[in-house]
Amino acid sequence: MKHIQKSAIALMLTVGVGFVSCTKLEEKLNSSLTADQAQSILLKSTDVSVLLQACYDGLQGFQSQDVATSLQENSSDESLVPTRGGDWDDNGVWRVIHAHTWNADHAQVGGVFNNLLGVVFNTTNVLNFSPSASQAAEARFIRAFAMYTVLDLYGQVPFREAGENLLNAPKVLKGAEAATFIISELNAIKAVLPNGPSAGGPAFKANKDAADVLLMKMYLNKGAYGNRAAPTFDAADMNAAITIARSLSTKYTISANVWDNYAPSNDVIGKENIFTNQNIGGSRGGNLRAAWYKTNHYNMNKSGWNGFTTLAAVYDKFEATDTRLGVNYPDPAGVLPNPKGVNTTGFLVGQQYDLKTGAALQDRKGAPLAFTRAVALQESGNNLEVTGIRYWRYVVDNKDGNDGQPDNDYVFFRYSDVVLMEAEAILRGGTAQGGVTALSLVNSLRAKRGATAATSVTLKNADQNSPDAGGVITILNERQREFHWDGWRRQDQIRFGTFLAANALKPVTDAKYLLYPIPNGALAVNPNLTQNPGY
Amino acid sequence: MNVKMLARLTLVGLFACVLSLFSQAQNKTVSGKVTDAKDGSPLAGASVVVKGSKTGSQTGADGSFKISIPASATTLVVSSVGFGSQNVDIQGKTSVDVSLAATSDNIGEVVVIGYGTARKKDLTGAITSVKAKDFNQGPITTPDQLIQGKVAGLQVINNSGQPGSPTTIRIRGNSSVRSGNSPLFVIDGIPLDGRNARPGLNANGIGQTPDANPLYFYNPNDIASMDVLKDASATAIYGSRGANGVIMITTKKGSVGAPKIDFSANIGQNTVRKKYKVLNAAEYKAALSSYALTSGNDGSDVDAQDAIFRKGFIQNYNLGIGGGNENGKYRFSLGYSDQNGVILKSNLKKYNIGMNGQYKFLESKRLSLDFNLLAAHNTDIGVPVTNDAGFQGNLVGMALQWNPTRALYKSTGALNVVPGESVVNPLAMSAGYDDVADITNIFATVGLGYKLTNNLDYKFNISLNTQTGVRKATEAPYITIPGVEGRGFGFYANAELNSQVLQHTLNYNKQLTSALNMTAMLGYEYQKFSYKGSGMSAQDFTNQGDVSFTSIMQNSSAASRSIYSWNDPSSELQSYFGRIGFNYEDKYLLTATFRADGSSKFGANNKYGYFPSAAFAWNIHNEGFMKGNNTFSSLKLRASYGVTGNSSFPAGSAQSQYTFGQQSIALANVANPDLKWESTKQFDLGLDFELASGVLYGSVDYFNRNTTNILFNFDAIQPAPATKYWVNLPGNVKNNGVEVSLGAAIIKKKDLQWNAQFNIAFLSNKLENYTGPAVLTGSISGQGLSGASVQRLTSGQPLNAFYMKEFMGLDQTGNSTFRDNGNTLYYIGNPNPKQLFGLSTDLTYKKWSFVANFNGAAGHDIYNNTLNALIPIGNLGSRNVASSLIGGGVKESLANPITTSTRYLEKGDYLKLANLSASYNVGTLGALKNVRVFLTATNLFIITKYSGFDPEVNTDKNIGGVPSLGIEYTPYPAVKGFNFGFNFNL
Repeated sequence: MKHIQKSAIALMLTVGVGFVSCTKLEEKLNSSLTADQAQSILLKSTDVSVLLQACYDGLQGFQSQDVATSLQENSSDESLVPTRGGDWDDNGVWRVIHAHTWNADHAQVGGVFNNLLGVVFNTTNVLNFSPSASQAAEARFIRAFAMYTVLDLYGQVPFREAGENLLNAPKVLKGAEAATFIISELNAIKAVLPNGPSAGGPAFKANKDAADVLLMKMYLNKGAYGNRAAPTFDAADMNAAITIARSLSTKYTISANVWDNYAPSNDVIGKENIFTNQNIGGSRGGNLRAAWYKTNHYNMNKSGWNGFTTLAAVYDKFEATDTRLGVNYPDPAGVLPNPKGVNTTGFLVGQQYDLKTGAALQDRKGAPLAFTRAVALQESGNNLEVTGIRYWRYVVDNKDGNDGQPDNDYVFFRYSDVVLMEAEAILRGGTAQGGVTALSLVNSLRAKRGATAATSVTLKNADQNSPDAGGVITILNERQREFHWDGWRRQDQIRFGTFLAANALKPVTDAKYLLYPIPNGALAVNPNLTQNPGY
Repeated sequence: MNVKMLARLTLVGLFACVLSLFSQAQNKTVSGKVTDAKDGSPLAGASVVVKGSKTGSQTGADGSFKISIPASATTLVVSSVGFGSQNVDIQGKTSVDVSLAATSDNIGEVVVIGYGTARKKDLTGAITSVKAKDFNQGPITTPDQLIQGKVAGLQVINNSGQPGSPTTIRIRGNSSVRSGNSPLFVIDGIPLDGRNARPGLNANGIGQTPDANPLYFYNPNDIASMDVLKDASATAIYGSRGANGVIMITTKKGSVGAPKIDFSANIGQNTVRKKYKVLNAAEYKAALSSYALTSGNDGSDVDAQDAIFRKGFIQNYNLGIGGGNENGKYRFSLGYSDQNGVILKSNLKKYNIGMNGQYKFLESKRLSLDFNLLAAHNTDIGVPVTNDAGFQGNLVGMALQWNPTRALYKSTGALNVVPGESVVNPLAMSAGYDDVADITNIFATVGLGYKLTNNLDYKFNISLNTQTGVRKATEAPYITIPGVEGRGFGFYANAELNSQVLQHTLNYNKQLTSALNMTAMLGYEYQKFSYKGSGMSAQDFTNQGDVSFTSIMQNSSAASRSIYSWNDPSSELQSYFGRIGFNYEDKYLLTATFRADGSSKFGANNKYGYFPSAAFAWNIHNEGFMKGNNTFSSLKLRASYGVTGNSSFPAGSAQSQYTFGQQSIALANVANPDLKWESTKQFDLGLDFELASGVLYGSVDYFNRNTTNILFNFDAIQPAPATKYWVNLPGNVKNNGVEVSLGAAIIKKKDLQWNAQFNIAFLSNKLENYTGPAVLTGSISGQGLSGASVQRLTSGQPLNAFYMKEFMGLDQTGNSTFRDNGNTLYYIGNPNPKQLFGLSTDLTYKKWSFVANFNGAAGHDIYNNTLNALIPIGNLGSRNVASSLIGGGVKESLANPITTSTRYLEKGDYLKLANLSASYNVGTLGALKNVRVFLTATNLFIITKYSGFDPEVNTDKNIGGVPSLGIEYTPYPAVKGFNFGFNFNL
């Protein structure tokens, strides 16, 4: 018996000890790769295009209504989100943007900062994986674009070199210093970048032409980045912009129909597009549907969120014949016959009609769905659902299955921007080249848009809210007509010195609002950041 | 893994052992009954042993025993835990009845501690043990509900009234700013993972459905006791998982004696405890005319809440078979429960099987083998009641908003659905939404033990827990939610949760001198957890007929399809631990514990954490100077101090992870190689007492918990691959409080007994020395509230402090006014109760007995997001509004914006009669013994000023994983009901 017991003990101890097998506690990630694995796998296949794709996807934030584009547009004189009784109060986030009373706790201010710097990180990280020269250039272009947006919004850009320890606070590039860095980056990569649409490349990839357009933006805004309250414009910068514009002018023309550039198939028919963010209908991409959801009333087709409006002063800057006011663009999906023949792009004023049946629409309380010119930051009264002029920047993708994922690529850079930037650079002291003038450039655009030819061109009107009159066309107004709700307005207004001026819904505001504050969360973790003055 | 194989083989073998135990040889039989001297009630589980031998038996539930003994035996020793021991002469007798006197009701009992058990009188830590007889009554779905209100300092919130709804459980308050404030659950010595394999669902347009309760696989009827470990002396042995307290669940085991069957059945019915007060048709019409609105009266008269709520039928059946002899015991159990929820379609079916055995082998009985198998299958039919839907998408919200003058059905009998309309008919939503989850849980443990010497025991446990869940959900294309309407939606997902536990323990017990006893335990434990799954969803099915979309996912449009799979980083925990205890003359007790936890989750620079504790107890009543004192039969002072940890951050946070997107790979996180556990230091001072008369007993505890190295998902330093990363931040979460438990035997007569237990905890909670920016949580959902939040974590405030505008009433135009015009937000409320209390009382008169269990909380606030967002005044003319908005002094403007403010912050104080039960002990009925019938009413009444469905609510409104607390948003409403049942033995 005794030895049976002993063998039992021995057996148990063997079994038991067998299970002890002290583990080294090495963590298995299972569905993701460790840094070492990623390094070896990506290097083995010498294909970092998967990493690069994540960088492009990082730019999808621009497509949503509540991120970078909100900060760039809703703070300007051409977009706002009125509180409509129960809707769109959202703890006041929209009102403070338009009224210039935001602070460093604002969710959009924090979210955009993180989103863009995430792109800066991901692009830099591509460089750790031995990309090809062309891939490295693509990554650096996307990085330059993200850094430029951070600079534009916040005036300071935290920057890490490839491989830096993420637990350490990185250095911060400020104002003109950041502008210089971005320009040097663009010049360094331009030759290596893939070809642009003018040479058969897709607009949704970083390309030589896109680098050119971004360089022009940098030259034009450099003075503002050095001193936003009183920008100066260096003639050399203006001339550099003009030289680039001349070279692009040989590669692109202005479209006969501006809306083709915003149609679901704009990757094919949008001939002005130079840099876009790709969406594939029903399959992949960003939140482009926000372009119509954010402004459509619930009872329209498409149904929307009944939010964003523009201001009547903007609407009044268009001539009746200007196609940029809106056209009846036939539904590319063929779903909505639009028997009433109303405009399906551009501004929506007055009674709205069902695009399927042609019936006059009503709001949720049974009143006519007729958008009013008047709008207040905080709506009250029985017509609060219908106040404010609405705007469709993109041709609505009505194709079945594309509701959550429209096909329209999101447009960053368009050739008409090059034209107007060239005209502006000439007016700001640059030397015209190639026989064009500011006037001829502006008129070449206006002719395509169905607008009357200008007799002369100036930078801006004394009252920024007033329309152009007497044949004198201002660049600032022309830019608004051409790029309404495209995300450029705040930058343009700052460069033209009208950002702080009063408009129908806001008084003159303090100079501190020329910059957004550094978000409190970011400030707390990086001592190299300093809060922007006044916050 | 061969571990699994071994477990399976062992189980098969053991089942064979069970069967062999049914017949035994005998030489003389004595039978009898053991009763409580106090009232003559039967004593179950009393031990009956032949004096001077190991031959023995135990009494059954009716107190009876039957024992076969050597013909030479003359004396039986009869004893029971909490009662004295008695020698009974059996010479010439075949039948004896014994009545035992209680020694001291509560001091002699055995409580479960980490990796062992202890007599309550030897405890140095703060542990509250709740036995089955004291559990809450009524239709209990999950084990945690059994002890709600029973333990001082334990808060159990039923998050909603949905069958199988999760509960929010806090022991001694919130200590972590992150999720993971739940205590560790340990079943029969095996720590659980704490997650649930029901796949998450975020169906188009309706938001996130709430999680299921991680314990809802365990049959409350299989549980013998639950022990709540509160102070560091008790919890530090669980190291990095012990900081939130530990709840030990002990399942029922067989007892020595002939095989016995016990059966119980009950049926019942639940209804919604309280409907939300919205306007009825007449009130609605009056409101329309008072606001001069011409539209909005559709001429019907309906109550949409009545339309979606129903009486929920409940049935429960449990069968147990148990028995054993001196060589082994076994128990086998079956359970079936079918619970209809009070919302149309909602249902939870549970099928439970339990099987356990404890066997001794060899002549010396030194070898022991235990096994425990708990298997369950749950079929959980969900409803579209989500945490974060907008004004559409939540069934309860739809019903609250439905215009009461608008017909739910057309005259044709079809549902009144207008295509393209933003208002959704709740009945169409209910009819068009299906959500079925099938989850199987297998929990199996095998233990081998060997008594190496008389003082030294070795035990090896291996346990596997496998959960698999499959969930299928569909939305019909006629539901008028954008993205669903005209397209439909199908969802099919599965998840798999696995954990393994290996334990080796050595227990040593030696009387060193006549005065000094030493106990010691040394252990090793290895735990491994993994969690994975996959899913697919699609839309645009051409089939509009009777075939479920989830059966024909290929019928969808290619563009609408989405597939995903995931496999979380597995985590391993390797631990070494020990405990040593000294007992000097039963006067001075000293316990020290230590645990070293190594975790694969921890950063490379902090692989191991160390968690010590020490405790001292002084049995004052055993001192010489107390001799002759007749006041106290027990008086014990306890003090303990120790360190515990909380490591509930996601595995994989310490190292870089490159994750896969659609045709892309990106670095997804900021790795933190310094990442480690959150550390809680806890001091506890307690006093246990019992009056000699036995009339009054209780405990008082003061505790002070200080949590440091706070685990935080904090702002990453940009540019970074993620916006947040896991870090241990400096700062302290301080919880302190006083807990009082009192029990009284108010009447102790033969035919009439009346007992009462009361407990109360006074709690205080604060975040200190945190220097980062305030962390937002408590997101508020609904139209006009995008991005809104009402809670903050910031230094100097309790966790989840409410932060919002202060409402100052309506102005003359009917618009809200706020202090400082709403430009300033204030810290203005606290969702953490300042007091938690529970009261239980039972009264027995002859064969009747009555039990009532109350619980409550006070000193906290609840944010009513339902009222804020879904039924505001602006709805008038198209949707319904809350009754409270009509008829006030000032007529509220229809354009008054929806915004967060103290207008919707309400006092959460409540006291509820959670259950009231009456039972009658029929006794023997033919072959049936111990027949008992009972009737239980749940949530019979509640005292509260809270205007929402129920003050016991916690809708999950976390932001980025920072948990919220005390917010109601269109939850599945709380229920009340009754059930009737009976049980008997065979």
